[in-house]
Amino acid sequence: MEYILHLLILIGIYAMLAQSLNLSAGFGGMISLAHAGFYGVGAYTAALFAVNYQLPFLLTLPVAMLLSGLLALIVSAIALRTIDDYFIICTLGIQVVVFSLMNNWMSLTRGPLGIPGIPSIQLFGIEIGMGNRILFLSLTLFFAALIFFFLKKLTGSSFGRTLRALSEDEIFTQSLGKNVYLTKVIAFTVSAMIAAVPGVLYAHYITYIDPTSFTVDESIFILSIVIIGGMRNLWGSVIAAAFLVLLPEALRFVGMPSSIAANMRQIIYGGILIFMMFRYSRGFSNIN
Amino acid sequence: MQIIVNILLTFALFILIGQSFSLIYYASRFFHIAHAATLTFSAYFTYLFFMQLNIPIEVSIPLAITCAIAIGILSEISLYKPLRKYNASPMMLMIASLGLYTVLQNIIPMVWGNATQSVRTWDTRVGNEFFGAYITDIKMITIAVCLTLFIACVFFMKYSRIGRNIRAVASNPELSNIIGISSDRVILWAFGIGSALVAVAGILIAFDTDMRPTMGFNWLLYGVVAMIIGGVGSNWGLVGGALLLATAQHLAAYYIGSQWMDAVAYIILILFLIAKPLGFSGKRLKKVEI
Repeated sequence: MEYILHLLILIGIYAMLAQSLNLSAGFGGMISLAHAGFYGVGAYTAALFAVNYQLPFLLTLPVAMLLSGLLALIVSAIALRTIDDYFIICTLGIQVVVFSLMNNWMSLTRGPLGIPGIPSIQLFGIEIGMGNRILFLSLTLFFAALIFFFLKKLTGSSFGRTLRALSEDEIFTQSLGKNVYLTKVIAFTVSAMIAAVPGVLYAHYITYIDPTSFTVDESIFILSIVIIGGMRNLWGSVIAAAFLVLLPEALRFVGMPSSIAANMRQIIYGGILIFMMFRYSRGFSNIN
Repeated sequence: MQIIVNILLTFALFILIGQSFSLIYYASRFFHIAHAATLTFSAYFTYLFFMQLNIPIEVSIPLAITCAIAIGILSEISLYKPLRKYNASPMMLMIASLGLYTVLQNIIPMVWGNATQSVRTWDTRVGNEFFGAYITDIKMITIAVCLTLFIACVFFMKYSRIGRNIRAVASNPELSNIIGISSDRVILWAFGIGSALVAVAGILIAFDTDMRPTMGFNWLLYGVVAMIIGGVGSNWGLVGGALLLATAQHLAAYYIGSQWMDAVAYIILILFLIAKPLGFSGKRLKKVEI
């Protein structure tokens, strides 16, 4: 039972990550491989403030979102000078830089040793964490729902329409008098700020973080959730997150040894990525 | 002096990998990420033939290169060509390639395990002294082979029939098709030659520093960064980019620590994208302006 709750919490966390990436990659057409970096910035900010300054969850959350957003703002101002595949390479570079900061800035992040002993969330005198998974799951679901409705509203607004328009044709959108560059920067920043939320939750939940949770592979994983679930499809991201988190469990159920199962999982989602590209390009349009 | 030798070695590998990647990118206009898996596979094939099947090294290296070419050509025929037929954008091709990379990458640990494997049958030696720096035989071979292949490739692109066809397709695929150059066949050639070059680099790296299943990705990305800061399709730009990258990395390793080499490479890339988005050569490229 505890394990099922654990899986549900992970699904919630990945659903949030995929939805936030869907804002920039799906709606804005800015496919980013730096998302695990922003997720990691959220987790590390929460961990460092909670361990070193005993800040409560309600304070670490906004601080983490602000820091991640600030980083994204600086990054996007640079990276958004490029488009399409050059943009992907650029975000890949940012991901590697963020990872290498987490891995090598010993005095701040303790490098590969990671940060142990992150306290559980204290909310109105109730402790929410590993010990009480049902409460933590409800908190995760609360945030996931909040993010879902926020993104639903945002993408349905005039801002969302501008974003969708520019991902189709940038110059045409510009000719309508829309500020394309600003819209892209805002979308990218908001997407990174939202990605910090699951980061904070993850840090308080697992109580120990190290850089290996925030690698390039993790970024590719989040991107595959978005692509498999469907661009601009928020529900699709949730379902795909559930599918990809449960996939290794299913493989273990079939009786595959765990040493092969990890690679098998990657092979399966690599294969699904290829398959999805065939589907997209055949005219199963990615437009809702 | 030692640092100059190190820079030279990294530089030589960067230009070879950068050249092999940009050959494919130049002809087909998308990022063939699975190229990294070709590099790793060439090293592991050498291991398979040389260490596991005990085939003499003069035979196993060409065999490994042939297998790497087969991977490159098969991925083009079975994946990219059909995708192009369906009018996939370069970005979709890149994501499909990312998927292919993930698949290939994870086959390696299933077959050969996650541990570091070695193809060295000889003892490690100090190497030859050379103006106060030490350099092993294999490093000297690496530098010589990389530079020779790079120059050969430059001449090949300039004077041979296939090289000219590749350049024609790169500058205008439709026009080339009209005058009878099949762009599909030319891209296939580019994949074959590019895979062969990267296989050589992979084997040389394996002989120098052993092999791990994840070794390809970083090397490839350095090659890509060298290509981007040099400007796509420019040989001198690639040389400049590789030299700048190798120098910066080794100076960073010397002064602030080798763990920052990755970060330095990407900071250079980002600085270039701000200041000189078209690379050294200044050739115009549609991706970087709006």
